[in-house]
Amino acid sequence: MDSRLVWLGLILAVLARPAPAEDLPYVYTKWKQFTVENGLPDDHVFSVKSDGRRVWVGTENGLALIDKRTWKVVRVWREEDGLPWRVITAIDVDPKTGDVWLGMFGGGLARFSGGRFDHFHQLNSGLVNNVVYGVAVENDNVWAATTAGASRYNTVTGEWTIFTEKNAPMEEIWNYGVHYRDGKVHLAVWGSGVLEYDVKTGRWKEYLDPDGEMEIDLYRDDGIVHVIITGAAYVENTLWASSYFGASRYDGRHWRGYYNQDSGLPSDFINNIRARSANEAWFATDKGVGVITDYKTNTWVAYTMDPKTRRGRAEIYRDRELLKTVDMEVGIPHNFIINLDLEGNDVFVATSKGLGVGIGEDYYAGLRPVRPAVAGGGQ
Amino acid sequence: MKARIFFFRAILAGVLVAAAAFLAAAPREPVYVGARACGGCHDGAGMGYQFSIWLHSKHSRSYAALAKPAAQQILQLSGLRGDPQASATCLSCHAPAALAEPWQKEEHLRIDDGVQCEDCHGPGSEYMAEEVMRNPAAARAAGLKMPTEADCMRCHIVKGSHVAVLALPAFDLKTRMEAIAHPTPENAKMGGLRLQTADGGAKRAGPKYVGVAACNQCHRGPESGHQDSLWRLSPHARAWSTLATPRAREIAKSKGLEGDPQQMAQCLECHAPGALAPSEAVLSSFSPDEGVGCEACHGPGSEYMAEAIMRDRRAARAAGLKEVSKETCLPCHRQAHGKQYELKIEAIAHPTRPAKRASAAEEPRYKTPVSLALDPRGRELYVTCSGSDSVIVVDPIARVKLAEIPVGQQPHGVVFSPDGRRVFVSNVFDDTVSVIDAAERRVVATLEVGDEPHGLITDREGKFLFVLNAASDDVHVFELGSLRRLKKLAASRRPWAAALSPDGARIAVSHTLPRLVPFQTPPVAEVTIIEAARGIIEDRVVFPAANLLKGVAWHPSGEYALVTLNRTKNLVPMTRLLQGWTITNGLGLMWADGSTDQLLLDEPDWGFPDPNAVAITPDGRFALVTSGGRDRLAVVDLAKMMSVLRQASPYERRHILPNHLGKPTEYVVKHIPLSHNPRDLLILPDGKTAVVVNGLDDSLSVVDLERFEEVGRIDLGGPKEITKVRYGERLFHNAGITFRRQFSCATCHPGGHVDGLTYDIEPDGVGVNQVDNRTLRGILDTAPFKWNGTNPSLARQCGPRLAVFFTRIQPYTPEELSAVDTYIASIPRPPNRFRALDAELTPAQRRGKAFFERSKTNDGREIPVGNRCVTCHPAPYFTDRRTHDVGTRSPYDTYGKFDTPQLNNIYDSAPYLHNGMALSLEEIWTVYNPDDKHGVTNDMTKDQLNDLIEYLKTL
Repeated sequence: MDSRLVWLGLILAVLARPAPAEDLPYVYTKWKQFTVENGLPDDHVFSVKSDGRRVWVGTENGLALIDKRTWKVVRVWREEDGLPWRVITAIDVDPKTGDVWLGMFGGGLARFSGGRFDHFHQLNSGLVNNVVYGVAVENDNVWAATTAGASRYNTVTGEWTIFTEKNAPMEEIWNYGVHYRDGKVHLAVWGSGVLEYDVKTGRWKEYLDPDGEMEIDLYRDDGIVHVIITGAAYVENTLWASSYFGASRYDGRHWRGYYNQDSGLPSDFINNIRARSANEAWFATDKGVGVITDYKTNTWVAYTMDPKTRRGRAEIYRDRELLKTVDMEVGIPHNFIINLDLEGNDVFVATSKGLGVGIGEDYYAGLRPVRPAVAGGGQ
Repeated sequence: MKARIFFFRAILAGVLVAAAAFLAAAPREPVYVGARACGGCHDGAGMGYQFSIWLHSKHSRSYAALAKPAAQQILQLSGLRGDPQASATCLSCHAPAALAEPWQKEEHLRIDDGVQCEDCHGPGSEYMAEEVMRNPAAARAAGLKMPTEADCMRCHIVKGSHVAVLALPAFDLKTRMEAIAHPTPENAKMGGLRLQTADGGAKRAGPKYVGVAACNQCHRGPESGHQDSLWRLSPHARAWSTLATPRAREIAKSKGLEGDPQQMAQCLECHAPGALAPSEAVLSSFSPDEGVGCEACHGPGSEYMAEAIMRDRRAARAAGLKEVSKETCLPCHRQAHGKQYELKIEAIAHPTRPAKRASAAEEPRYKTPVSLALDPRGRELYVTCSGSDSVIVVDPIARVKLAEIPVGQQPHGVVFSPDGRRVFVSNVFDDTVSVIDAAERRVVATLEVGDEPHGLITDREGKFLFVLNAASDDVHVFELGSLRRLKKLAASRRPWAAALSPDGARIAVSHTLPRLVPFQTPPVAEVTIIEAARGIIEDRVVFPAANLLKGVAWHPSGEYALVTLNRTKNLVPMTRLLQGWTITNGLGLMWADGSTDQLLLDEPDWGFPDPNAVAITPDGRFALVTSGGRDRLAVVDLAKMMSVLRQASPYERRHILPNHLGKPTEYVVKHIPLSHNPRDLLILPDGKTAVVVNGLDDSLSVVDLERFEEVGRIDLGGPKEITKVRYGERLFHNAGITFRRQFSCATCHPGGHVDGLTYDIEPDGVGVNQVDNRTLRGILDTAPFKWNGTNPSLARQCGPRLAVFFTRIQPYTPEELSAVDTYIASIPRPPNRFRALDAELTPAQRRGKAFFERSKTNDGREIPVGNRCVTCHPAPYFTDRRTHDVGTRSPYDTYGKFDTPQLNNIYDSAPYLHNGMALSLEEIWTVYNPDDKHGVTNDMTKDQLNDLIEYLKTL
């Protein structure tokens, strides 16, 4: 054989060898969208809660129920159907009883059980205020984050307790969110950072910005990035917090701040947050969803929607370096993200133009080596 | 260096001084110190014998008076149970300090001192110091009060219960004030209570006086025959204080003795022997004011008082316990002051184990059966008996009683575990469930559940036990194996009974109270559906315009369930009873798809009042329904009932059939007369026999389902005599008093409580003067009655007025009326579930109490006395029994002053205000008190209002 042919073959063989693998996160590429066209009562989706085969959707004009078996909106409740107030800003489900608790913006709290709405507002109950931003079920108690403090309702004794600056380290009483997990309740407070309540001891702990009221992060990673906190989540002994000026993570020892300029956050203006683990958290921003998928390497996935093509896009970042872009026919329905939920491998994104549901087929946590030729999904 | 040390020390000293000053300046909460602390100064001739006057008065014996048999009778007439000395209602007048929290009572306060100084003058810890007491302004600022006539009348107001038992003359306040007057004399000189009060010097060996209070730590209460109280009621207890009377000084003078008899050995020798003991022979717990105390007869007790010694008679004697004989008494009593003395030791006898007294208060104890359940093998019936606090086991085939098992108070529901090994019984009064081992027939465990548990049920697999708690409106779910409580489900109002669907998938729960609805809205009743497999609420089915859903049963096909119900037309005036105008009775059908129908059991010329329970034959052909108010069983042909429904249009089914009195004759095929007040029933598995509980006959009726007639009766063994109370109870539950037997008293007052409705009673216009239905529990002492307070007594309330406005035929005869009123007076009120006697208040409740009793607003303005909560709502019933205008008159009312309602267990009787327009306690003030006429509340913050609500729940 001609030796030139042999050398050519060898060279081609080397060139044809696959490119080296890169550690990349899972990217959600299977999305469903729900709008008024699918039966939602309104496109402004303020809250979402996945509970087994049910997805509860709170909108500006009513409550909807999606059945995961068919992925259809099976029922809608408006005020004429008995819903006490049309604007649903928060939803949680009592895992023991299945009761659905609704926080309503100007309407107080409602318990939805067996088709009956029980309405608790500031005139007929001990709820401190009707403007409810967040709700969380904690054992036999239901917490409500309101604009005038936090209320806790003991469903066994019927006792209402109000937490304000009188009995909690609450410098401002405008509560934006409440979250319960692993024996701790976390309040996200406008102007008062994150307040942590230990259920067992009844003691409070506050997380404030050591930089004070400065609008810049004077020293990096010295505490929460700002005192205007919009959401908090606690999982695996790790506190995640969102603000209008970035995000924070605290593992009990080290703080870490995140901004759009040095991470995959689409924007520093974050409305809410859900955390899956100490390693992964989802941020609802005004410019898309930012997901930190691997804390150690600061790897992110930013989900957005192209307003011109309406196609979905997922961008993988490490620090602020764009590693990969994944184009999708269907992604999140809008970039203004108001709320989120995570259940199992699926994600639920509440936006100002409908609900997006990301199906986590073959989901994996953290990073996996992925060859560049493989596209989307499980990579 | 030295300068630096000095500097730091100075700083430290300054800080400490500042801290001490701060602490000293901070006002302390006053606590009760006890009458003897007051008596340390306020006694003796120099102080007008103030302490002795009190000790000699009935006030000091008021706690002991609760040990008398009459007190037990009064307790029952007040709707209470148990020991009067442990009842908050009784103690709030007889020993008010008993209701204070533990931290508010200093160790020397003795509850057995009854109504003592501080109950009128306020807790004394902050004003008792001499320098404070001598400054009236300072004393008042520290909490010293001078009681007014209104304060006295809070307790001395006439009470029906006391009048009925004691037949005392009318209370003359002026005369009684003179009798207890204890003015401080001019140039008062503080005297000593004690001749020797402290452990003086070195103690000698040998027995020492310990004092009555030490004896009373054990020798008290019903377990010891109320020994402490028997002594306290006797003249022996006043032997020392009697030396302060003018008569005592006369006697002393006649014997040539000048001075204070309380200081004279010649007097003390008999009147307070222990006072003469040397200080080394007396412990600090002893006080000479006890007069002839225990140890005056039994010997100084320090060596024999230990329980281990006391229980050994020989050892106790060896340690100094003396036997008492006439020789003990005669030295003092023989020819004492010229009085003839006849030894009547029985007058002061106080045996440790008294013979069972035939107390007038003891009524024969009826069984009053309520519910029944059949064991899975079909061999034994368990019947709950609310009157005897027991469960009776019956052989339904042999028709004999086999056993009786004591359980908790007022048992109601009963259910077997699917394997038949355990039986669960709900105890309404105790808030517990008794777990009975069926083989051993005894209680082996007790579960804490919610308030007033009624119905019980398990799922078919034996995974869960569901307990329906009527007063806390919830269902507790227990894991049947471990009996661990898993969760609490929100039911509707007063869940009552439950039935498992034939496929075991669903549990239907009935409720006697309808949902809370907006003012002037028809009632809506609910059946809650629980998914049995997961123990969660699956659905809530509503029956419009219905209430009092009690019995529930599934048809064997599973296509529908039946529930007994009332249809009360509460929003139109009760102008007549004809043609079902006011209340009709019937059945609700709940279809598997959640839709409903309603049909009546009443007929045009006579009613089927108080349908209590329903059961369906295994072949699905017939339904049996008990009528508690008409003492009968209705047999409903279900095929015919279905035919009636099928022939009707949807409009007719919704609007006509539920009110059609002509239809029942088409499907009610027979009425079977039974005995008094039939309640629960069940059908034996062979479908041939039904067993029905006759609640007020202490029997079970056995009904043949082929002939549809009663063929036998099983006697549960209750007393045969019918007492007045029992007679009254029967009348109360019988519709014989109403025109065409439409309803009984129990219809609107199930269990003597409320039906959750507001009523337009009088014919003064539709919707005019609506009134909220009120409880009958414990009401005898809360006269007047009626929301406008115009009925001064129960006799007036239940007499002619009842006939004119409600029943529309001849009223009760005087004998019947007396019996009904006697029964009503005995209807018990369950214990308050938010605070047990002597329990600490929670911080929120304590803050709320302060608001309830406050006299100033948040910004320091004085609240007029007439507008303070505690003025119109004083203990024990939290009503002053007067009418007031609290600004709640609505445009539909023709008057604006309303009788102050009692607040006991107020958490359990929503809605509120005279017409029920406030759906929660909060709304009384957040919505219906804009002008601060119902107490000053508009300055309160939301958390302060929450605290007030928390406190109100403890009343």
